[in-house]
Amino acid sequence: MASARPSSAGFRLTGRLVVTGLLLLWVVVQVYPIVFLFFTSLKSDPQILSTPFAFPFPPQFGNYEAVMDGNRTNQSIGIYFINSVIVTGGTLVLLLGVSSLAGYALARGRFPGSAATQQLFLLALAVPVHVLLVPIYFFFGEMGLRNNLVGLILLYATLGLPFTTILMRSYFVSFPRELEEAARIDGCSRFGVFWRVVLPVSRGAMASMAIINIGWVWSELFFGLVLLDKVTARTLPLAVAAYKPSSMATQTSVGELFAIMSLTVLPLIVFYFVFQKQIRKGMTAGAVK
Amino acid sequence: MTSPTPSAASPRVRPTQVEHRSVGGLAQIRANAHWYLFIAPAVILLLAFMGFPLYRSLELSLFEWKGLLPRHWIGLENFERLFRDKYFWRALGHTIVFAVSATAGTVGLGLLLAIAISRHVPFHRFYRFAFYLPVMLPMTVVAALWARIYEPNYGLLNTALKSIGLGVLAQPWLGSLDLSLPAIIVVCIWQYAGFPMIVLLAAIEGIPEDLHHAATLDGAGELQRMRYLVVPMIWPVLVSISVVQVIFSLKVFDLVWVMTKGGPAESSAVLGTYLYRKAFEQQEYGYASAVAVSMFAVIFTVTYVYYRLTKIDAVEF
Repeated sequence: MASARPSSAGFRLTGRLVVTGLLLLWVVVQVYPIVFLFFTSLKSDPQILSTPFAFPFPPQFGNYEAVMDGNRTNQSIGIYFINSVIVTGGTLVLLLGVSSLAGYALARGRFPGSAATQQLFLLALAVPVHVLLVPIYFFFGEMGLRNNLVGLILLYATLGLPFTTILMRSYFVSFPRELEEAARIDGCSRFGVFWRVVLPVSRGAMASMAIINIGWVWSELFFGLVLLDKVTARTLPLAVAAYKPSSMATQTSVGELFAIMSLTVLPLIVFYFVFQKQIRKGMTAGAVK
Repeated sequence: MTSPTPSAASPRVRPTQVEHRSVGGLAQIRANAHWYLFIAPAVILLLAFMGFPLYRSLELSLFEWKGLLPRHWIGLENFERLFRDKYFWRALGHTIVFAVSATAGTVGLGLLLAIAISRHVPFHRFYRFAFYLPVMLPMTVVAALWARIYEPNYGLLNTALKSIGLGVLAQPWLGSLDLSLPAIIVVCIWQYAGFPMIVLLAAIEGIPEDLHHAATLDGAGELQRMRYLVVPMIWPVLVSISVVQVIFSLKVFDLVWVMTKGGPAESSAVLGTYLYRKAFEQQEYGYASAVAVSMFAVIFTVTYVYYRLTKIDAVEF
């Protein structure tokens, strides 16, 4: 045993060095494309084609100015950005409000139909959104909800509802009852208890729900593609998808595409920098149990 | 937030509601009127924007309908046509290949990364941050970025290959019949390996440190400790995250749509893009609905069975 020690320690050290090397290599693989994205957005088109790997020095902000003016596409990217902010903000507010109400009722109420409602959410959770695409397109057309951000907010909030409600219910099930019962004795209505007692102390859970949902709402493309055909109503992912990759080298401006992509990514990256712990925790809790 | 809860006692025990004696159905409903108001907004949204479209989709799949022309009821003919449609089968095959390889890739790589950075190796916080970063990016941007990296003439990948003297390996990646689908799968793995990693890392860190020590004292090497301690301990999580990844990747659309639109010559078409093209490029709404309904049948069954087995509605956090 004693004689085996030094060689196994040496083996372990080399092993660790190899592992560290591989990990650092993987860091480069994961991070470099993102760095490349931002670097390229700061270069002129000739620079992008001739020196793709070079550091953008001095940085050129021409691409950003061009997409803000929007001369080539007749539409400033600012509109897309504002649309995305409105849709994401509106969806989160509606989704959190509706799902916390429902989650609370499912956690606390025992009423005729409560078990069936719970089942309804579980069934809805398993529905792939693809099956809704064609009917939603025509339904929204009839209702005048195409090219309408409110329509998009209602739809996105619905798509997020099953998952968020089920998680909110689990949260409320484990929420201590004592506080609520005291407020009930003081003559508060059910809604009063929910609004004044339960919600204020549930900010953490609400924040987690917002964190779980913000990414997919900001990035949603599938429904946006068919529901938003007017340029003024479009969100950022549509601006990115509108560029044809095949013609990039010849016709369209590559630099501008990279500026748009950077503007689409930047809010999520900032958000990740600030809330990384909560994000990873929330996603883990949401994924598997 | 994720701490185990003291009041995890069965929610069925409801001592405070004994006052509401069950006199009759209607009285019961009236006594609980407030609860119906609580769930009403959610149920209304679900019925209007999910239940109703789902019903319409099932209905539409039984019609022949090309946009503005009148609809014809044709029973199951769309499904018969689907059965004979080789492009549908090809799209289904691509979807399954995509789901299986993307799951094997993300979970396999995620497991290796999680093991490598568990137990607080130096820089573990930095690794964790870097490896999860791509997961945060919108898939549309990732797809558009990689389309540029794969671009045959000026793309980063071919430029890099040429500059290190491996120009022979340069390929028209997304423009190739054989490579378009694998190239997209690689991007999916690049973006999402960090997700299983984070989940598995949490599971590994849940293993009591004593067990690692005991294994090491018993003379187990690193590899043996992984094989006989870590993997068995996290097996349920490994299975769960794999199913989650399969379900997630069966729904793939954004990546394929932005990078190739299913091309060239349908060589990377998946069910999502096939459905989209049938409906919104060829205006075959009835037939597209049949595609959608078949997709629904597969994904819904897998997902629902999985959720029932894992009792997702009983999750505590």
